Amino acid sequence: MKEILMVFLALLLAGGISSAGAQESAPPPDTGTLVVTPAPAPPAPVTNLNAKDKPNDHGAGVVVTWPPSADDVVGSTKVFGYAILRAATPEGPFLERGRVPIGEGVFEDQGSLDEVSPDYMADHVDYYYKVRVISPDTTVYADSEIIGPVQSSGQWFNTNKVPVLIFVLCFTTLAIFFINHARRGANLFIRPLAGIEAVDEAIGRATEMGRPILYVLGLGTASEIATIASFTILGRVSKKVAEYQTGLIVPCYDPIVMTVAQETVKASYLDAGRPDAYNDDMVYFVTQSQFAYVAAVNGTMLRELPATNIYMGKFFAESLILAETGALAGSIQIAGTDEVAQIPFFVVACDYTLIGEELYAASAYLGREPVLLGSLKAQDYAKAAIMILAVVGFLAANFGWVDFVNLFNVPSN
Amino acid sequence: MSTARRTSLIILAAVIILFLVSWFAKFSAVQNTGAPFGISVRDGFYITLAAFCSLAIFSFLYKDNPYYKFAEHLFVGISAAYWMCVGFWSTFVGNFIPKVSRTLSDFFEVPFKSFDIFYFIPLILGILLLLRLSNKYGWLSRWSLAFIVGTTAGLNLIRYLRSDFISQVSNTFVPLVVDWKGIDAFFSDFSLAANGQFIMILGNWVVFIGVFCGLVYFFFSKEHKGFFGTASRVGVWVLMITFGASFGYTVMGRVSLLVGRLTFLFGDWLGLID
Amino acid sequence: MKRQIPLALVFFFGVLMIIQYFVPHEASEWTFEFLMDWIYIIGIFALALGIWSLVKVSWDKIRLRRENWQYAIVTLLGLVAMICFGFDYFRNVFNAAGLQNFMFRHFFDYIMIPIQSTMFSLLAFFIASASYRAFRARSLLASLLLLAALIVMIRFNPYFGPLTAYLEQTASWLLNVPNLAAKRAIVIGVGLGMVATALKVILGIERAYLGKD
Repeated sequence: MKEILMVFLALLLAGGISSAGAQESAPPPDTGTLVVTPAPAPPAPVTNLNAKDKPNDHGAGVVVTWPPSADDVVGSTKVFGYAILRAATPEGPFLERGRVPIGEGVFEDQGSLDEVSPDYMADHVDYYYKVRVISPDTTVYADSEIIGPVQSSGQWFNTNKVPVLIFVLCFTTLAIFFINHARRGANLFIRPLAGIEAVDEAIGRATEMGRPILYVLGLGTASEIATIASFTILGRVSKKVAEYQTGLIVPCYDPIVMTVAQETVKASYLDAGRPDAYNDDMVYFVTQSQFAYVAAVNGTMLRELPATNIYMGKFFAESLILAETGALAGSIQIAGTDEVAQIPFFVVACDYTLIGEELYAASAYLGREPVLLGSLKAQDYAKAAIMILAVVGFLAANFGWVDFVNLFNVPSN
Repeated sequence: MSTARRTSLIILAAVIILFLVSWFAKFSAVQNTGAPFGISVRDGFYITLAAFCSLAIFSFLYKDNPYYKFAEHLFVGISAAYWMCVGFWSTFVGNFIPKVSRTLSDFFEVPFKSFDIFYFIPLILGILLLLRLSNKYGWLSRWSLAFIVGTTAGLNLIRYLRSDFISQVSNTFVPLVVDWKGIDAFFSDFSLAANGQFIMILGNWVVFIGVFCGLVYFFFSKEHKGFFGTASRVGVWVLMITFGASFGYTVMGRVSLLVGRLTFLFGDWLGLID
Repeated sequence: MKRQIPLALVFFFGVLMIIQYFVPHEASEWTFEFLMDWIYIIGIFALALGIWSLVKVSWDKIRLRRENWQYAIVTLLGLVAMICFGFDYFRNVFNAAGLQNFMFRHFFDYIMIPIQSTMFSLLAFFIASASYRAFRARSLLASLLLLAALIVMIRFNPYFGPLTAYLEQTASWLLNVPNLAAKRAIVIGVGLGMVATALKVILGIERAYLGKD
């Protein structure tokens, strides 16, 4: 038996040598001889695999990390990448969850919480992982040890959002402090705002001319902050209008805004002691189509010829159309919006413009209520803090204080 | 009959005749392409109608007139109904009905998803909102309003704090000196190109000072005097440059809108542009 | 009661939405989607209120023969016609096919879209008239506004020969640097104002939207 084996191996060796020589001249003839080439060596497997629940997520997420394979070096031809496999039990079956190229040592296994989804990944269920080092020859690979069980779960607090929480708490504390400070009778100074000082004058002008005032709340919904600020200004304006017995026209874009505006104006007329003068038709819904609304308001401007047009709220492309038509009608125009893109048009076309934050300050300025003044003070102090932060951040960016800069990198959702 | 009234009637007659002439001309043009008679009449009418609606709106540039009023009032009525229909079918029938009633889902021919009792809450809040029309029970509509205002206030507080505040502050952390290669390189590189060293350093300084002075301008608690006044004035200058630049940037975009409309009128309607 | 419950609701839902932002758990996402859905559904009822207001104002105009009452008829006719087509009334079919109704789509394509586009295109004329009125070098601020606008407007004009490249670079610098600085200052201020107003609404300090008893 041994002799037969020796002869077989000798024949094999002889065949190999002769075929190596023959290759340079001509392809070897098919003699039916079995030629076995040695298999390429598999790449070095990954060791010290780690898998844990993905932090700060809603669940169905596991993060797998590993140090690179010993063969994962620059210029290596043994490693093509890594495949991450997962199973419900250590015995398998293991299914591939994804691949990463060489040089990378982290993979986020993100599934879906939807039970009908093919990618469904239940929380609080054991999973087992292994990492496969893949070579260019897909049949040659090396698996790591199996790691697990690891369970995914949703967290109840996103620690990446701590800076936002700190800002919310600081600002809330500041606001409450200054509101209480104002309530206790502190005298809080506010610098004059030309646009708001002009409102009284504009209402007086309208009364003298016997023409109404047109108040446009913008195209925002009742929940937009700019619209809420506009309601407060409308309240003040309509109270003055009621006292002076001037006409008021408030065409509305949103039906809920119409509802709130009606409440606001009605309350103002009640405050002014003229509830009989209020009529629901003063505040009416037009349409929820942007340019249909503008067409209607333009028509109103040219027919009713209001002495004063007040635009306060959220405006978009129609801002210039409204402002120019108002100028054609010969009205005094006061505008205020937080839409940065529309401010230039109002600045150019209107007599007075409240830029951005001035719209929010206007309600405090008009009413002079301690609570509103207090919150405006808090805003100013927050701005001062920003200026200091900007200087510190400026220095941090120049001296490489990366930790401070990273404090402000907050996730978007 | 007064002169003004006679003039209006003549103009109206002219408009009607022009409409009919245009309709006939478009009908012939469409029919020449091989379309059936009915389709030609219909398409000819609609294109003429679209063109006359456009011209009616353009007439506003001259002055307010009955044609503009007609187009405006028609647009208001049609658009209000359009959004009501879209809102009803997409939100009410598409989103609400499949989660509350199998019978209604079958009636409206939408697939029933699953019964979710929580969706009766917006139904109740919606009905409370409609009570606004009642003098006696109108105060109940405030509950619906409170829900909407409260929810969006909470959402907006966080959203704007993150995007308009924290992100903007962090983007102001710019380096004082960019890619410093030495004093010789600096003085030899005054390129206005975006990656010129001088321009990048200048840019960072302008951004930092511009933001700082702009914030000073928006300070309400202090009189703008002395250093504060100077910083505020610089802030206003930067604001004016911004408004001018933004205005100039939008001009060409707005003119292109007019080009689009004129293309329709001269191309699709009058057939003067191929 | 008439004001306490709404204020409590505002506080509860406001704080809920704030907490929701910090909680990544699935329950928080579910809450967010639910509340957003509820707002859209309530919006439909609000739209019905709006249509009622439009019909009432138009009808009163016709009934009392106010100025331009004839056009109110046009509004009501357009409204009724579009609703009939949108609900497929004439075919007695009550499903979303109403939105694909022939006449509904034609009214949209041949009346709404042309008028909407034409209104939008009026901006070309209005921007010219606004420029004519505003661009006067009356003061330093007006001059800065004028100069910046001019540089940006003519930046692509080839008639300035060798100056064109410099104009383009200057305009690009103006749009990317001082423009960015001022907008950032405005946005930071707006962000603070919004946060303060939202806080006032949630804490019940800002309650103009509730009206009075």
